[in-house]
Amino acid sequence: MDLTTTVSIDEENSVARVSLDGALNTDTAPAFELRLQEVVDAGYQLTVLDMKELDYISSAGLRVIFKAAKQTRSDGRNLAAANRKPHIDKVFEILKALPDMAVFANEQELDDYLDAMQSKSRDE
Amino acid sequence: MRGSISTRLIVLITLCTAVIVGGGMLLDYRVSRAEILERLDLESNERVKAVVVDIENWLSGVEAATGFLGQILSQREYSEEGLKQMLRDLVQGNEEIYGAAIALSPNQAESGEGFAPYFFHSDTGIAYANLASREADYQQQPWFRAPIETAKPVWSEPYFDNGGGEALMTTYSVPVYRIDEEGQRFLYAVVTADVLVEDLHRVLQQLHLGEHSNGLLLSTEGMLLSSRQAPEALRHYSEIAIAPENLKPWRDLLDHVRGGQAISREVECPEIEGQCTLRMGTLQSNGWPIGIVYSQNEVLEPLYNYQIKTVIISVCTILGMALVVSLVTHSITRPLSYLSAASANIARGNMDSPLPPAKGNDEIATLVRSFESMSKDLKTYIADLESVTASRSRLEGELAAAREIQMSMLPGAGEARLQQPPVDLWARVEPAKTVGGDLYTYSLNDNHLLLAVGDVSDKGVPAALFMARAISLIQQLSSLSVAPNEAMTWLNNSLERDNPSCMFVTLFLGVLNTTTGELRFATAGHTAPSLLRNNEVTVIDQDTGPALGLIPDQDYPDNLLTLCPADRLAIYTDGIDEAFNSAGEMFGVERFNKQLQNTGALDLAAAGAALFQAVASHAQEQPQSDDITLLLLEPSAGKHGSQRQSFDLAPGLTRRVQSWLEPVLNNWSVPDDAVMEMLLIAEELVTNVQKYGELQAKHEIAVTLRLDGQTLALQVRDPGVAFNPLAQAERADLGADIESAEIGGLGVHLITGLSNRQHYAREGEYNVLTIEKDLPVWT
Repeated sequence: MDLTTTVSIDEENSVARVSLDGALNTDTAPAFELRLQEVVDAGYQLTVLDMKELDYISSAGLRVIFKAAKQTRSDGRNLAAANRKPHIDKVFEILKALPDMAVFANEQELDDYLDAMQSKSRDE
Repeated sequence: MRGSISTRLIVLITLCTAVIVGGGMLLDYRVSRAEILERLDLESNERVKAVVVDIENWLSGVEAATGFLGQILSQREYSEEGLKQMLRDLVQGNEEIYGAAIALSPNQAESGEGFAPYFFHSDTGIAYANLASREADYQQQPWFRAPIETAKPVWSEPYFDNGGGEALMTTYSVPVYRIDEEGQRFLYAVVTADVLVEDLHRVLQQLHLGEHSNGLLLSTEGMLLSSRQAPEALRHYSEIAIAPENLKPWRDLLDHVRGGQAISREVECPEIEGQCTLRMGTLQSNGWPIGIVYSQNEVLEPLYNYQIKTVIISVCTILGMALVVSLVTHSITRPLSYLSAASANIARGNMDSPLPPAKGNDEIATLVRSFESMSKDLKTYIADLESVTASRSRLEGELAAAREIQMSMLPGAGEARLQQPPVDLWARVEPAKTVGGDLYTYSLNDNHLLLAVGDVSDKGVPAALFMARAISLIQQLSSLSVAPNEAMTWLNNSLERDNPSCMFVTLFLGVLNTTTGELRFATAGHTAPSLLRNNEVTVIDQDTGPALGLIPDQDYPDNLLTLCPADRLAIYTDGIDEAFNSAGEMFGVERFNKQLQNTGALDLAAAGAALFQAVASHAQEQPQSDDITLLLLEPSAGKHGSQRQSFDLAPGLTRRVQSWLEPVLNNWSVPDDAVMEMLLIAEELVTNVQKYGELQAKHEIAVTLRLDGQTLALQVRDPGVAFNPLAQAERADLGADIESAEIGGLGVHLITGLSNRQHYAREGEYNVLTIEKDLPVWT
């Protein structure tokens, strides 16, 4: 299984959406790490990992996500995961990974979150 | 024909006749035989007596004549010429006397030579011989000396007379005494008379009893004269065919006879085979033994002839009788034979077979008439029966076809087995009549098994038709994914429409989730199923709705039962618990549950067959009162398997391991979730080896995957440095705040989190890590 990564940027909201399609495992993790690093380094306020098409994730993949989360957190930004499939969810649960990471069960939650962020920034 | 009446009559009557005739003949024979024997005895006695009397008379005549001559000579004086004359007259006058002599004592004769004239019968008449010749020398002859010595008359032994009669003879000699002047008695002469042995022989020949009988006459000395031998063959008895050892008995016998006793004795026949009778007495005149030897058989020959004639007559009589009886019985039984042949023809189906004419008014004629009328009735009856049978067999044929069609509506056409892991199912229906109203069906779609067991009210054709409606509707359900209780409502409404005859069906309808073992079901008045769990049987507690087809728009309660791996569920119709035996006892739910428990160890099909058998043995010869349906369901026994593969540590290891594992797991029907998790575990394991094993690309690791029932085991064996990842691997603290959390060390957490047991061992130069994962029970 391979991994296809698609990145779409919402400049207006400073949101980067990284869509994963396939398997994030030992073999695909290094390439993904580089790609994600690029996105994170770009400095968007929010990076959303869309796992709608992600079928598989191993500890190697999680380590990449973990690392990105740590980095964004230290920069005062956010990394969020959306649309986790049940068995992907289970892996996250086992590892109690990213307890304070924003998790969106579906698109609607993500949109709501984005709206909330926009209004928040307007308020500031 | 053996055993026929005529044969029996002939045999019986012939036997009876034989006994009666034979008895009569036997009686007659006994009486006749006694009479014949008596007569024969008498006759033989008479004959012997007559011969003896003849001889006695003859000899006593000779004695008397001689004695008389002697008497005269003792008293009167005669001249020599006168003596001659008197002697001549005597011989001439007595035919019995062959010859006679007067031999004077020598001192009384005128000449010195003595005087002894002898006259005898010769061929030329009376001949004369002078015995006082020198050659005759009468004074030395025994016939002269013997009476002088004994002073009594004596019969001489047979002898051949030389110089006198020139013949074989015996002589009676009488001494003649006179008294002289002084009163002294002196011998004057010896008077003799001769009897020819040949004459004696002739008389003796009259002693005759049967062809081979033999008259015997013995002299005083024992010379034997036999009637069957020439008189010249006169010899002493001891010389004739008498063995030396027999001599003594003969002597004793003769002594007895001479003592005056008549004897009768059995001896061997002299000339023929067999025993003969010897009867012997003595002649009174000379004391000679006389007797006869004869064969009893020869004497009784007339009796034997009579016997043979009697037997021949008896046999002829019996044969004649048998012939007559045979003719009579055949004439009587002939119509019966015809009747018998005709009835055999009728039995073969030839109803128009002609019967014998019924003549007269006897029993046979009556029988023939009755038979005729019976045959007519039978013909009508058979014709009726044929038409009834034809319509009945047509109906039966149609029913058989109907049954075939009905059974084809059920999976497996009446008996079905579904062995498709994780489900094992067996079902059978047995209609009470050719077609019935019970039904069962099932269908498996992915991990959902639809089950239905139903019982239409009543049985036979109407029930079968309603059953056909019901099952078609139920089978439509298998493509729908509706909850059973809702499906039940739909079924009820569908069946209620156009049901003027108010047929109804009780139904158990359930859907089993084969992943979780959950059985959701609804019941429309159906018997509650029985569950065998941990070797105990319980009746499922169910909420039931009304039977289908009666009242529209009913709600049916939803029931839930979770089946465990070792459970066995039995769904059945009331044909089982309401099976009656001849005593009126029902088979009952308890008995059924007991049987279900007893057959728990058997395979489903065997257990089902045993349950049907139990119902049948309970009912015994009582006809099956209702259709019987039984469906048994249990999780199939877990699969077992093992696969092993070696991998080198070249790049892409994870992908290679996973692409080997995935098809194996799918092949074992492992659920998708579990497959995913096993792939994840495998990846973490091999990643660990790569990370900590200090190995190069050329090294190989061995991966083994085992399925043992509900447990999957994955083992990785690597030749790396001793390293127990479970204890030694770097492990991140879980749930830590993201700032303080370490990146990495997650693999072991995943391994332990996704599996149930983990085990590490160092086996020689190898690290062996085994991970076990339990699968869902209904997998």
